[in-house]
Amino acid sequence: MNKPKLELVSLCKEYDNGSVIAVEDIDLRVEAGETVALLGSSGCGKSTTLNMIVGLESPTSGDIQIDGKSVVSVPPGRRNVGLVFQDYAVFTSMTVRKNLAFGLEVRGKYVLEINRAVEEVAELLGMSDKLEARARDLGGSELQRVAIGRTLVTKPSILLLDEPLSNLETSARLAMRRELRRLQSEIGLTIIYVTHDQVEALSLADRIAVMNAGRILQVEKASTICAMPGHTFVAGFLGSPPMNLIRGKFEARGGEVFFRRGDFSLALGAGATVPEGYFTLGMRAESIRLASGADARFTGRVSLLEPRGSEAVLTVDVGRETLKVVVPPHARLAVGEVVGLAVDRESLHFFDGDNNRATSLELAGRIF
Amino acid sequence: MNDTPTPKKPRNAPGALSNAAIGRIFTLPGQAVSVLVLVVPLLVALYMSFTDWSPTRGALFDAGFVGFENYSELLIWDTRFLFAVLRTFLLSVVCLSLEFVFGLGLAVLFLRRFRGTSLLFSAFLTPMMILPVVVGYIFWMLFQSNGPINQMIEFVFGAEATVEWFRSSTTAIIAVIVTEVWHWTPLFFLILLSGLNAVPENPVRAAVILGASPRQVFWRVVMPTLKPVIIVAFVIRSMEIIKLFDEVFMLTRGGPGSATETISLYIYKLAFNDFQLAYGAAAAFLVLVGSLLLVHLLLAPVRDQLLEVER
Amino acid sequence: MHDKKLSPLQTVILMLALAIVLFPVFWILMTAIKPPTDWNASPAIWIPSEPTLVNFQTLFDPDALGKYGVGGVSQPATKAVLGSLLATIVATTLSVVIGLFSAIGISRYGNGGKATPLIILSGRMFPPAAIAVPFVIIFSNVGLIDSYVGLIAIYVAVTLPFSTWMLKSFVDDLPREIEEAAMIDGRSKLMAHLTVTIPLIKGGLFATTMFIFILNWSEFMFALVLSYTDVSTIPVQLAKYVTATAGTLYGVQAALAVLAMVPLVIVGYLIQSHLARGMTFGAIKQ
Repeated sequence: MNKPKLELVSLCKEYDNGSVIAVEDIDLRVEAGETVALLGSSGCGKSTTLNMIVGLESPTSGDIQIDGKSVVSVPPGRRNVGLVFQDYAVFTSMTVRKNLAFGLEVRGKYVLEINRAVEEVAELLGMSDKLEARARDLGGSELQRVAIGRTLVTKPSILLLDEPLSNLETSARLAMRRELRRLQSEIGLTIIYVTHDQVEALSLADRIAVMNAGRILQVEKASTICAMPGHTFVAGFLGSPPMNLIRGKFEARGGEVFFRRGDFSLALGAGATVPEGYFTLGMRAESIRLASGADARFTGRVSLLEPRGSEAVLTVDVGRETLKVVVPPHARLAVGEVVGLAVDRESLHFFDGDNNRATSLELAGRIF
Repeated sequence: MNDTPTPKKPRNAPGALSNAAIGRIFTLPGQAVSVLVLVVPLLVALYMSFTDWSPTRGALFDAGFVGFENYSELLIWDTRFLFAVLRTFLLSVVCLSLEFVFGLGLAVLFLRRFRGTSLLFSAFLTPMMILPVVVGYIFWMLFQSNGPINQMIEFVFGAEATVEWFRSSTTAIIAVIVTEVWHWTPLFFLILLSGLNAVPENPVRAAVILGASPRQVFWRVVMPTLKPVIIVAFVIRSMEIIKLFDEVFMLTRGGPGSATETISLYIYKLAFNDFQLAYGAAAAFLVLVGSLLLVHLLLAPVRDQLLEVER
Repeated sequence: MHDKKLSPLQTVILMLALAIVLFPVFWILMTAIKPPTDWNASPAIWIPSEPTLVNFQTLFDPDALGKYGVGGVSQPATKAVLGSLLATIVATTLSVVIGLFSAIGISRYGNGGKATPLIILSGRMFPPAAIAVPFVIIFSNVGLIDSYVGLIAIYVAVTLPFSTWMLKSFVDDLPREIEEAAMIDGRSKLMAHLTVTIPLIKGGLFATTMFIFILNWSEFMFALVLSYTDVSTIPVQLAKYVTATAGTLYGVQAALAVLAMVPLVIVGYLIQSHLARGMTFGAIKQ
């Protein structure tokens, strides 16, 4: 089996003698040529992890291996890892050419070699006509390309990016997304980037590692992570709107199994035994649909209808729970109206009430 | 999309003054003072420099016009003047270099923000807060033959190494240099520390990641940001050190002989000891022109940057 | 992340530098409290065994001073202290007020004259010894020699570049919209500045005032040249005391020096965060 390009093993980072734990016990394997996104809100430890991979910070414990070899004692300039900062951090006093050439110049390479590499990368990024421009005259996305080019010139084996799309306007964002995907396929770079924006994660990455409070909660392919959240946090973070989560208990009443919390009750089928303890029910907004009459599994009162172009998001109060439901855009619903809702049993997700991890349950004669 | 309406600009009330007029009114007192108290005497002095006037000869306006005679005498024959200029120039170069080196060293130390930084910072700024005459006086005491500096030298090197500081030219100049450097290193320290703190962190980190050694990072990434700051520091100090007077007056009065005579001291002597006022005025104007040229030259590399900031 | 500790070598260097920086201050403080017998001891005494405040008393006691010499040496310092206070306070106030209006004019209304910056700045480049010459002449013709009016006028003119430029940098820091909002409200431009601009730069105004205070209090050459019998400032008086032969008046001289020094060190500490701005004509902010 091939060694992974990058492997984080039980990585930990503490500050202030352990009073602040930024990163706790992280394990991650990244294969060569993959693009992985570290997704989470601020303070979850994703940037700290990035800093440790590139070498700006050293881990309190654990190991970082690139191509199978530990790099924890290797200084940042020698790990062959490139980092593009969120604010690009381009050398403003230099021209674009000087910026791109920097990495090779400080390594003492010959002028001819440097020029060739610089022009190659400039061509790759579409900046050949801007080589002599002063960095301080450039705009946002051009600066980002300079920052990316600056690292590419040194031919890193791994490219790290910190919030690559957050500082760009929408139009520039689309362009940059295309740009990064093109780089991925043309050079076969291994890319790891950090973001708090799930769209940014879903659109660029092969796999997404969702982080919270210093831990990785789930690593999953981008194409499936929304459908298969492994943790309530992931479920509540991804998706627009995010998955509806209700924490409650199972009960068996009159030969039927229900999931219940307060006034909210969902019939699950015939059965007599139920698992003990708390569980969290997850229902995606897209899985719930409007139903009428006998089809309706539960009812609720409309509190908000938000049109969203090709669909609309309905906010419904069911008992004391608030659910988001995706409905067709032309649905005519008034605030205060009572609607019937239904959801297929196949679309239900359950999570363990204690560790919040996705579980599989046998209930009412089927597996959820 | 933002929906704020473009803010209205205040329109002048009918009868109110235009912006340009208000600007002129506000700057009028400042200009008046500058003109009256600086420009007028300057012009008088300029006129005077072309005459051979001396107070004993009656009113200024009756004095004889001698054209550039004072100036040519100063530049060609007056060795004492030329030496004073050279001496002041060399003194400035030495003092500023030392102040820069020590100031930079201290600033780099303080970058780390160790425990006690703010208290120590205040302590290190103290010398520059002290009146120049007092600084001169203190070091006059310290450099006395029976003073603490000689005591310390004796302690380390033995009694034969002690010096009569104000007796010989070399040691007197050293005393002046020590005094001046002690007095003004804190300013370089202050300015350089501000400059170093203002260097953006991420480009430095980026350079490190790209493989630059600390020295390469300093020269290629930090220095470009620091250059204008360094130049401002040098210009400001140059402007002041050319006029060096108070400290030297208290230390040596320009002696022994004229060994530590700066330009200001020489002009003072010409005007207020020898009463050669016209001649002294000419000397002053030469110094003024020289200073303006010097500042112009020093500022050239950063003029664009400073102008940009102004806009 | 910054390391928070210094290496042993760095600590040693720092301590050494601190000693060098503070030693002269230490010395003059000690000298000011030395009894007369300790003044010219050979080898010099570092810390007096019987410290006393008598030197400070002697400063103001004409009889006590009379023992030490003639002329300026036997003058009590009272007039000098009062003179310094008068000249400094008045000149500082005027300089700051005039500078404030110039600063607002230049910052908000364009230059008010292209030459203004140049004129104001070049005032700093002229050797005082030379400006003193025409001053002496002009002043003697208008009867301003040996008068505080003349001295104050010069102090104002000479510190105006600093006060203008320093205040201008504080006004520049204020967004224009704040004043424009007041003007839209119906206030005249002058009132807008009085009620809005000025209160908002209070901190900078204080720092500038203290800074100019330091400059004026320290000024020596003009005072030296323009004072005869009526006018006296502390630096001039100190110079007069120092004409006494070395060692014969150390304690008294030091006492006066300490009196002169202490207010400035305190003021300097108060405006510490604005020092860079003041010293560099507003070019560099901390």
